[in-house]
Amino acid sequence: MRKSFLKIISAFLVIIPVFIFSCTPGSCYDETEARVKASMYQSATEKIVAPDSVSLFGLERDSAIYKKTSNITSMLFPLDPTTETCTFLVKINGESDTVTFSYSSYAHFISKECGYTYYFTIEQPVTTNNIIDKIVLTKKTIKTLNEENMRIYY
Amino acid sequence: MRRICAYIISVALFSGYIPVYGQDTDVPQDSVTIPLKVSFGIEASGPVIYFTDKNVLNTEAYLLYDFDNKKALHAAGGYSNYKYSQYNYSYRNKGIFFKAGVDFNILKPEISGGKYWAGIGLLYGISRFTWQVDSFSYENYWGKHTFSMPEQSDWGHYLEVSPGFRAELLKNLSIGWSVSLRKLLITSASKDLKPAYIPGYGSTGNSISFGMNYFLTFNFSYKKIRVGIKPEPAEEGGSGTGIIRSIR
Repeated sequence: MRKSFLKIISAFLVIIPVFIFSCTPGSCYDETEARVKASMYQSATEKIVAPDSVSLFGLERDSAIYKKTSNITSMLFPLDPTTETCTFLVKINGESDTVTFSYSSYAHFISKECGYTYYFTIEQPVTTNNIIDKIVLTKKTIKTLNEENMRIYY
Repeated sequence: MRRICAYIISVALFSGYIPVYGQDTDVPQDSVTIPLKVSFGIEASGPVIYFTDKNVLNTEAYLLYDFDNKKALHAAGGYSNYKYSQYNYSYRNKGIFFKAGVDFNILKPEISGGKYWAGIGLLYGISRFTWQVDSFSYENYWGKHTFSMPEQSDWGHYLEVSPGFRAELLKNLSIGWSVSLRKLLITSASKDLKPAYIPGYGSTGNSISFGMNYFLTFNFSYKKIRVGIKPEPAEEGGSGTGIIRSIR
């Protein structure tokens, strides 16, 4: 009895460190912001082509999301969960257009480590047509996944 | 995680030799007397953890009823009060859970003798709980905003597989532990607002929830049965029915 008792106690002692280890909080490695991912299509060829330069600003905002950035074939538009519309100023190869998103937002639990974020359901974006020919919405639910949501033809 | 579980189970099953119960002589016997018991107990680690971390309180009590020397009814219930906060959110959850199923003893009767249990429990659990997010912050290009979610009620159903070990330490008192592997089957919560924690189940982050349980059990015998022993082939230099046998 004494011997088996000692064995059981030993087993307890072996397990306790594993138990403690399993309770150690982890870190967040997931994407935590859902943004509209727009692929850049050249109208003439209907193929993905990077513009010479791209700038992106929130309307009436000074800070740029992209500033004369080259060699990008997709842009990420951050949306504001406290409002239902967002308007952006898009400059492609020096010419400007505005793109307006109307959307609804809803909270989404990512994980215990990362917490909560907002997902969005967007409607067909409205754009001016200086450099942008059209916008085609391909996936209206905006999640943190790396997936195309719309195509900008220019 | 799988390696950890395998390691723990190995420790449980090969933790040593256990004395044979009910054999007073070296004369081979063809049966042993096994007491069938009604047992009740508590899960001990929950209150202990609460002393070190006031944000997590898990209590669980259970009842075991031996059908025979291999199977026992396992019914348990508990209460959980869980709080969690980190840099970007603060979460609260409390509720109750019930689970029921069968514990299977894999020990031979001449080894268990009604005093030892090593085996696996298969349980179905239901949890009823409320949860709320006191605050969560969201920061992006448009600024930093703080939101909250009001209290809401949900339930969850899950399956639990719990291999473990129990040993009678004193008369009518057993101690033991088990590893719990739980799979969430369904929950009333929306897929976007899955609760971070479910009472009785644990954290919902992974597809399988893992937990350790330590038990204090009080046993009361209600009946004794005779259980036959399968004769073992005689080995050279030994009777094969010695006082000490390994768990295999």
